[in-house]
Formats: sequence, C-alpha cells, structure tokens
Amino acid sequence: MSKQLLQGNQAIVIAAERAGLGFFAGYPITPASEILHELVGRKYIKVMQMEDEIASINACIGASLAGLKVMTATSGPGFSLMQESIGLAHMMEVPMVIVNVQRVGPSTGMPTFPAQGDIIQARHGSHGDYFPIIFYPNSVEEIYRHTFSAFNAAEESLSPVLLLSDGYISHLYETVELTNYPVVQRGRPPLGAGNRHFTGLTHKDSCPVTSSPEVHRTLLAHFQKKCMQTCANYNFYEYIENDTADTLLIAFGALSRAIYNFKDKYGVFRPIRLFPMIEELKDFASRYEYIVVLEMNTGQYCYEVESLLHREVELLALPGGKIDIKEISDKLQELRQASSKQVTIN
Amino acid sequence: MEDTMRFKRFLKEENLPTPWCPGCGNGQILKSACQAFEELNFDKRQVVIVSGIGCAGRSAGFFDMDSVHTAHGRAIPVAEGIKTANENLKVVVLSGDGDLLGIGGNHLLHATRRNTPISIICYSNEIYGMTGGQVSPTTRLNTKTVTTPEGNKDCPVNVQAIIKAHNCFYARSTTFHLAHLKKSIIEALRHPGLSFVDVICQCIVNNGRRVGFKDAFEMLMYYKNNYKINDNTELLKENEIGITRWTSA
Repeated sequence: MSKQLLQGNQAIVIAAERAGLGFFAGYPITPASEILHELVGRKYIKVMQMEDEIASINACIGASLAGLKVMTATSGPGFSLMQESIGLAHMMEVPMVIVNVQRVGPSTGMPTFPAQGDIIQARHGSHGDYFPIIFYPNSVEEIYRHTFSAFNAAEESLSPVLLLSDGYISHLYETVELTNYPVVQRGRPPLGAGNRHFTGLTHKDSCPVTSSPEVHRTLLAHFQKKCMQTCANYNFYEYIENDTADTLLIAFGALSRAIYNFKDKYGVFRPIRLFPMIEELKDFASRYEYIVVLEMNTGQYCYEVESLLHREVELLALPGGKIDIKEISDKLQELRQASSKQVTIN
Repeated sequence: MEDTMRFKRFLKEENLPTPWCPGCGNGQILKSACQAFEELNFDKRQVVIVSGIGCAGRSAGFFDMDSVHTAHGRAIPVAEGIKTANENLKVVVLSGDGDLLGIGGNHLLHATRRNTPISIICYSNEIYGMTGGQVSPTTRLNTKTVTTPEGNKDCPVNVQAIIKAHNCFYARSTTFHLAHLKKSIIEALRHPGLSFVDVICQCIVNNGRRVGFKDAFEMLMYYKNNYKINDNTELLKENEIGITRWTSA
C-alpha cells in the first residue's frame, strides 16, 4: 500500500492497469487526453490511437472479443460518435469500460470547463433498449476505486460499463491510497475458441433471428436481468441523514463536493452508481418533504429521480461549468421560498 | 468427403440457405474464400471472420468459426482490434463496397496507413443492394440507379489508388473468373501486411436489370468479355483484373 498524489485521469489509468487492462483505443480530446498519454508505453497494454472515436470503440469491441480487458476514454463529442457501437457492444455482450470526462456542450461548447450534460446520453444515447451500468465518482481516490468497479462490473455483466467523470474531477490532484481491489477475470473464451457468431442483429444461440418478437423480448429480458444481478454487488452511494431538515439534496460528481457545505441544513444523497438507479433512494426520499436535484446541466437526472420516486422533484440547474457555493446557497433559498417547481438557469 | 468439397468444412451448412437473391454473386465469393482457406489448410480455430452491414455483411454468419457481424462500416476497426489483441489469429473481413468504401471509407484509409495485417475481401456490386438499389461509392459514371435517375454524376472511388498509396496488397477479380478469384484470395491471405481483394460481383435484382441486363448470366458474360487478366503489373487498368505486383518498401 502506498499513497500517491495523482490527477483524476492518472488515477483511472493506474487503476485500469491494476484491474488487468490489456488494450486501449482512443482519440485525443480535452479533457480526457491524459488517459491516452499515460497509457502509452506501458508494458502490458496495447494502445491504438485511432482516426476517430467510432474506430476507437470498435477496435475495443474487437480486442475485447479477442480476450483482452479493454477501455476507451473520451468526452461529450467523442461519446456522441460512439453511441451506435455502444448499442452494438450491448447486443454482442462485449465487456469494456468507457470513460466519459464531461465538458460543457452541446457541440464544441467550452472544452476545458466541467459539465454533467451527458447523463441522458450515457443512459439512453444509443438506439433501442439497453441497460447500462454507470458510475460517477466525485474524488480522485474514489475514481481510482470505481475504475476497478467498472472493470469488474463489465466482466460480470458482459456489457460496456460507463465511468463518468468531468473536467473538474479528471484534472483534480489528490492523494490516493493505491489499494489493490479484487479483480474479476474474464469467463468467456476469446475469439478463435469456437464457431460463435457475434452479431448486432437480434439473435438466439449464435444465429440471427430477425422476425421474431418473442426472441427479441427474451434477449432484452436477458440483458436486463444480468444488469440487475450484477448491480446488486455495486450498490454505491453516499447518504448523509439530517433529521431536522425538510429537504433532501441530490447531487453527484464535481458538483456534489460543493453540496457537503449544506449538510447542516439539508439531507444529502449522492449516487455513485447513477444507473440503474439506487433503489434505497425511495426510502431516504420518503423522510423529506422536498427533494432538490442539483446538476451541471438544465435537468437530466432530475427527471429520472422524479420517475423513480413518483413525486415532484425540484431542479437546481447549474450549467456552464461554474461551481460557486454562494450562488448555490442563494438559489437554494430562492427555491425554498418559491412555492412551485421552477427551472433556474443562470 | 470428396477433396473438391472439403471447403465445406468452413461453412455452417445448417445455417444455409443464405438470404441472397437468385442470381446474386455473393455466394461465389463465400465459396471462393472457403476454397482458399482449404487450399491454405487453415485451422478453423485460427481464423476469425468480420463483416459489416448489407447483403455482403451477412456472410460472417455462415462460417463455421468465430465470426463478428459489426455495425455498418465498422468491420475494419473491429478486425484491427482483434488482430492487435491476438496477432496469432488470421483476421478476414468480408463486406460490401458501400460498407467498406462509403460509410467505412475513413477506416480503410487509416487501416492501410497502419498496414494492419488483416485481409479484406470487398464484394463490389456497385450498388446498395439490400436497401433497394441506391447509388454506391463504386457505381460507374452515368449509371442509372434509384437515387440517380439521370445517371450517376459522381466519380466512383479509386480503391486501387487508396490501397496502393500506402503500399498494401491489392488484387481485383470477378465472380466469373473463379479460379483467378480463388488465387487472388490465397495471395491476399499469404500477404504479410494489409491485403485487399476487390471482387466485382453481380447484383441482378437491384442493379443489373435496371441497366439493361436480362439476367445474372448476362452480367457474368459481360465480366468475361470485358475484363482481361493481368497478373504482372503495378497498376491495373479499368478493364483489367489481376494481382498487382507488391514489393516491400
């Protein structure tokens, strides 16, 4: 065991290496590039700098099927390009870790400023139905730990697992205890071991079946079941109870670090696994009269919380990469004074 | 099993027939690839087939070895990932011209630059067949298609130039010249770097009949009369097929 001062992106790399990463394909993008830089030259990791993010995720699919643990890392624009093949990886049951270091969008936006604008994209970005496991830590130590979680969950669920970060967490330097967390090994034999057919078409027993609703429904149920079974082992969240408060604040990632300042006046819930959503939230939320979701976008997780809890949830929207405790404090007071739900955009 | 039928061991016969139209040339390419594997005495557990989307993309599912049917245009980067992860595998891409040269064209450009040791067999029927006969990257000038009713005004992609620009292996053949096609695939599979076999093949249903061919046989006769074999050149002319000369840089 040793402590080291690390940048968020470096912590991801060191944890990925210790979790057994064998292949990385990526394309340079701010604020994720350090992950690519740090991986080049490591003895047991093959690194390909591809022509774009589409090639990157597809090379990862190939290398994963060929038996290696794989990862790619990008930010919003590149993550958008990957969406089609994220669906393919779910359909073909390809384990991999996708890191998305979020920056302000849409489009090129503000590349060096942190954001949380890819929550819906992370959950729903590819077409069709799929069930991604998504982690979003809020410190360097935690992103180190949950890089292991992402790799292990990917192997257990045989699916791509998303590790969300943001320009703040990924560029932050903190000391990290370099713990060797347990590592899950690949169960499925690599390519070259049989006559399996991996396809993006609806399929059954290695054979495409393109005109049976029943086969398709069975396949989706299988995806959902293995996702939920895997998640039982990765139920990560932080809850700070406040029995004198009438309001529960919900935040994650970079922004959640600012929310700790308000724990004397509010309850605080921070999901580390954003999806599938933490079921315990239903119980915690029932202890408060008001629920406020704070996020660095114009309301993406808020609606997911609302649909989980089946009750009204207030939104404090903080897009644009700014985290200012005074601003948050003022806006929380405004929100509590207003009687009805309102969207606050700076 | 008779020796001439031994290529069948590379096929999942239980998955046949293929979904292709009567008269389609794709089956000949599938067979030629299997014959080439047989001639080279490949071990089924050392070969991985990768394909994209479209008629040709369905090829992967008929091989009795591990195969990957990727997203549209993405066969090449998937194949490169497989080869980079395990260089002992023989990785063969089978896909169409729209897939490899249209939506996936950028990947081909960069794969040749990297010279990743994979073999690519391109089913070039000069049309988007599966989607109903739209103009493709290899459709010839002035050809009428569903989306070019006045004739194609865009120059077809010069595949040979792209492949040869980065000193990769290039061969061109047709589904009429089956012995030559098999030989081209064998040479491609023997090549140490990236190899590309451009196979001109007939799509009677969504291309040939619209440009005046009565049936697939007429298209094959056209290939017979139009293309001359030239296996001794650096660069093939438009009406030539052949295995172009390659010298290590």
